Amino acid sequence: MIGDVIREIRAAGKYTIIVVDDGSRDATYFEALAERVVAIRHKINRGKGAATKTGIIAAKKFGAEIVVTMDGDGQHDPTDIEALVAPIQSGQCDVVLGCRPKVRGEMPFIKIIANKIGNIVTWLFYGIHVSDSQSGFRAYSRFAATIIDTKADKYEYDSKVIREINNNRLSFVEVPIKVRYTEYSMGKPQKQGFINGIKTLIRIVWGLVV
Amino acid sequence: MKIHVYQIIIICVSAVMLFQGSKEFFKRETGQTFLKFAVRVIVWGGMGLIAIYPNSTIYFAKLIGIEDNINAVILSGFLLVFLLIFKLLSAIEKIEQNISELTRREALSHLDEALPGDPDGHGKGK
Repeated sequence: MIGDVIREIRAAGKYTIIVVDDGSRDATYFEALAERVVAIRHKINRGKGAATKTGIIAAKKFGAEIVVTMDGDGQHDPTDIEALVAPIQSGQCDVVLGCRPKVRGEMPFIKIIANKIGNIVTWLFYGIHVSDSQSGFRAYSRFAATIIDTKADKYEYDSKVIREINNNRLSFVEVPIKVRYTEYSMGKPQKQGFINGIKTLIRIVWGLVV
Repeated sequence: MKIHVYQIIIICVSAVMLFQGSKEFFKRETGQTFLKFAVRVIVWGGMGLIAIYPNSTIYFAKLIGIEDNINAVILSGFLLVFLLIFKLLSAIEKIEQNISELTRREALSHLDEALPGDPDGHGKGK
């Protein structure tokens, strides 16, 4: 699975690819190694946010000027990377948020509702209204990747990044992206489903009082 | 003054808990803070005092404005339990963050091994 994603990214352009295996029990890590990309492995599962943060730190260690984060389940189309990095390359902004199309047929209805709730919660708690607060397909300038600092480990990471954008007065733009809901991405147990969505909401509220 | 069994049990438990708490605090054992010690003294000391002087709850009830003394005790108990849960969850949150940081450092310590030859050239990240 991850091999397909890596090959797609390679086909889309010349990028340094970093794969973070977040304590998975399948062959993801070895598949990534076989593809001769930078493979990093969390010995235990720490969540999407923790894995993304590890990947960003690793990218900075490699001297990346622009860091693009994307999910490893194949739902993001690497041909969108160019559109994501363009505003940063032109100096237009520090962060680019990929926005998934929220129309029936392109996104499951339940996801559209969940996404809208996520956007409202993010706006209420963190002060910025964005079109897709839960998208993991984003691009950061080196400055933004350095200054954004959140301890969120799970799915609330994406919303906490919005908070960091607001707190640090970073400039951002939203870019439409394509999304493909594969059987794998819809069936994985760790996906941001209804129950995980509730848990994310609780963690966001809890983060305000702790 | 008639003493009931429950009073003896509560006094014994409170005494043990206060002794343990004091010992840990004065021996400066790891993780023992003044706040923790103070909470222990208030919780277990308070329970001990109520067990010795059950009528003190009447004054306590009047003090916080609740007429019925047993309601005052129950309400205070709920508040204390809430505080304890809050403290526990905060501690768990902190431990979770520390585990993530340790996992990350361990993973990144193998970064040189994670690079089998030249990957894809170093240009844009990820």
